[in-house]
Amino acid sequence: MSLLTPHVGSQLVDLGSAVLLLICFAIVAQRRLSACVDLFALQSVFLAATAALVAFLTGIHHIYAAALLTLIIKAIVIPRILRKVIERLNVTRELVMNVNVPAGLLICGGLVMLAFFITQPIIPLGFLLTRDSLAIALAIVLIGFFTMIARKKAVTQVIGFLVMENGVFLGAAAAAYGMPLIVELGVFFDVLVGALIIGIYTHRLQDAFDSVDTGRLTTLKE
Amino acid sequence: MTGMAPVVTILGAPLLAAVISLATTRAPILHGLNLATMAALAISEMAIVQQVLTQGSFTSLWGFVYLDALAAFILLITTAIGFLCSLYTWSYLGDYMERGAISARRISRFFFLFHLFLFAMISATTANNLGIQWAAMEGTTLATAFLISFFRTREGFEAGWKYLILCSVGIALALFGTVLTYYSSVRVLGDVSAALNVTVLLGVAHQLDPHVLKLAFIFVLVGYGTKVGLAPVHNWLPEAYSEAPAPVTAMLAGVLETVAAYALLRSKSIVDQALPEHFTGNLLLLFGLLSFVLAALFILIQHDYKRLFAYSSIEHMGVAMVGFGVGGSTGTFGGLFHLLNHALAKSLAFFSAGNMLRRFGTREIDKVRGLAAAQPVTAVAIVVAGLALAGMPPFSMFLSEVMVVSALATQDFSSDTLHLGQFLTIVVAHDVRSLAIVTAFLLFAIVLFGGFTYRVTSMIWGTPPDGVKRGEGWEVGQVPLVVACAALVGLGLKLPEPIRELMDRAVHVLLAR
Repeated sequence: MSLLTPHVGSQLVDLGSAVLLLICFAIVAQRRLSACVDLFALQSVFLAATAALVAFLTGIHHIYAAALLTLIIKAIVIPRILRKVIERLNVTRELVMNVNVPAGLLICGGLVMLAFFITQPIIPLGFLLTRDSLAIALAIVLIGFFTMIARKKAVTQVIGFLVMENGVFLGAAAAAYGMPLIVELGVFFDVLVGALIIGIYTHRLQDAFDSVDTGRLTTLKE
Repeated sequence: MTGMAPVVTILGAPLLAAVISLATTRAPILHGLNLATMAALAISEMAIVQQVLTQGSFTSLWGFVYLDALAAFILLITTAIGFLCSLYTWSYLGDYMERGAISARRISRFFFLFHLFLFAMISATTANNLGIQWAAMEGTTLATAFLISFFRTREGFEAGWKYLILCSVGIALALFGTVLTYYSSVRVLGDVSAALNVTVLLGVAHQLDPHVLKLAFIFVLVGYGTKVGLAPVHNWLPEAYSEAPAPVTAMLAGVLETVAAYALLRSKSIVDQALPEHFTGNLLLLFGLLSFVLAALFILIQHDYKRLFAYSSIEHMGVAMVGFGVGGSTGTFGGLFHLLNHALAKSLAFFSAGNMLRRFGTREIDKVRGLAAAQPVTAVAIVVAGLALAGMPPFSMFLSEVMVVSALATQDFSSDTLHLGQFLTIVVAHDVRSLAIVTAFLLFAIVLFGGFTYRVTSMIWGTPPDGVKRGEGWEVGQVPLVVACAALVGLGLKLPEPIRELMDRAVHVLLAR
């Protein structure tokens, strides 16, 4: 315990957040869908660990509950649903992307800078322990958003959405020491139901279009 | 605790109805249950309005529910349009069942989702906690995903997918905004679960950090703006509206947009306490004008009547946002009144569109001819809806639009610069800008009027295509058409005293500092 001074603790939380950001870049660079799902699961594990660390350092117990829920829902249940979807749809690789990988990585680098730029005026207000995590959280949200635009496969778009959600959760856990528990429960419920619905939807899209390439969804045009 | 019974009913009834709907597949029972639920909602809403008018705002259910004049006004729209939709659904789904297009099991599924949708919207309106409000708003997306693709067509799934993805992204951004609001309030209040409660936030708002709130409001605006259908994040809307079954579209256009606008206004009322008023106002004004102008242009090129009405939704939400953005008592009152009128006119339009689609089997404007001969009641309804949406007197929409325009013309800017975040500053001389905005607004209003009335009236006259049955019998589904027409004319002539009082108080809620 003596080793975990607030300073070391703060560094550890920043390290956890940075790993989350790094995994975002890996997702942007990855073409294989199943690897994207694995990376998302890994990110959720680190997210849970970071949240648990914040809970330990601050002694706020309800963050433990949120961390546990993250582990169960985002690291186990949702990746399992997504793997099932991929298996059933028989898609393995993202062949055509709106933005190629090197350009995508460059754009994401720019997004990280943008996130730090936007949050600069408000970072000094935060708790000492977890200041910089807010900027990283915003960067993750933006990269998730970018993934949804850059990719065409339904599954990767979903992963982009889930990464955004992870970013928001990191922001809540690290910057504000967790949302009220009742809100966390509502959010987790929504994410879980959303993942289930999206799973069913990809199935239906497959039946209707013989493809989960959302680029083919062009029946409805101006 | 006196407010407990109506609050429990208004939240519990749709939830209970959803569960019961799953248990039975008999259409008459399902429709009866639906109407009974709506009646219960209407009665409890009346009790809530009564209570708000006599005792002012109140919290209930251990502080989870907060009801003031603004929330009660939005609930009024929800229950009124919900009731009309239920009556319409009776004939609409009955017709599809007679043709064998859908089975009884699908109807049970329809009502299950419909009531969940209603429950999510009512929770979003009554929630005291901004986080719970967010969860409920996401709930509306999830509940409607399968309602939009109810007919299981290829286009339906495509529209549903776009809706699901775009709204989920939007709502994730809104969640980030909510987290930022919490970030600012938790510093003042400490780690208490009440730190996201509207009642608490309003009390401490002036102590909250303005930088954080600015950023939070931008995220919330983009997030809930997606659900309102504000340009440039409106892309899901025309598709979803044209593919969804008519009663669902009426609910989406009439109620969901209104509730999303309410979520936005709630945030605005809190942020306004900490920031100079023109920050949130100018942002709303900008997005409102952008939506208005874009919708005006897109309306000119539509050849599908459901899409035409969808773009008209974007336009009118733009008008309402301009009203709220300009602010002041005239602008805000106009904005609220416009929300009510839009809900009525748009559900009327989509009910008529549903009737036309069932008779003519096409959504192409050019293929619908002789509506007056084929469906006289629907023809009258669509003319009323069309003229009201184009902003013609004597319909109430004319009044609210005039209020918004006059507020825009007489606006008093507290500063000569229009600050858009910290990145962009537009400097324009005071009166020149005001005049230019009003002129441009009116110009596009004329474009809209021409384009809209031309498209709508072109369907009325002539002889119906061969094979289209002529004449229209009376059925339950015609009742909401008559009621909505009457309401549009009636509200234009005289606003009933309790509603006017409620709106005055809601304006006060929004302008209180």
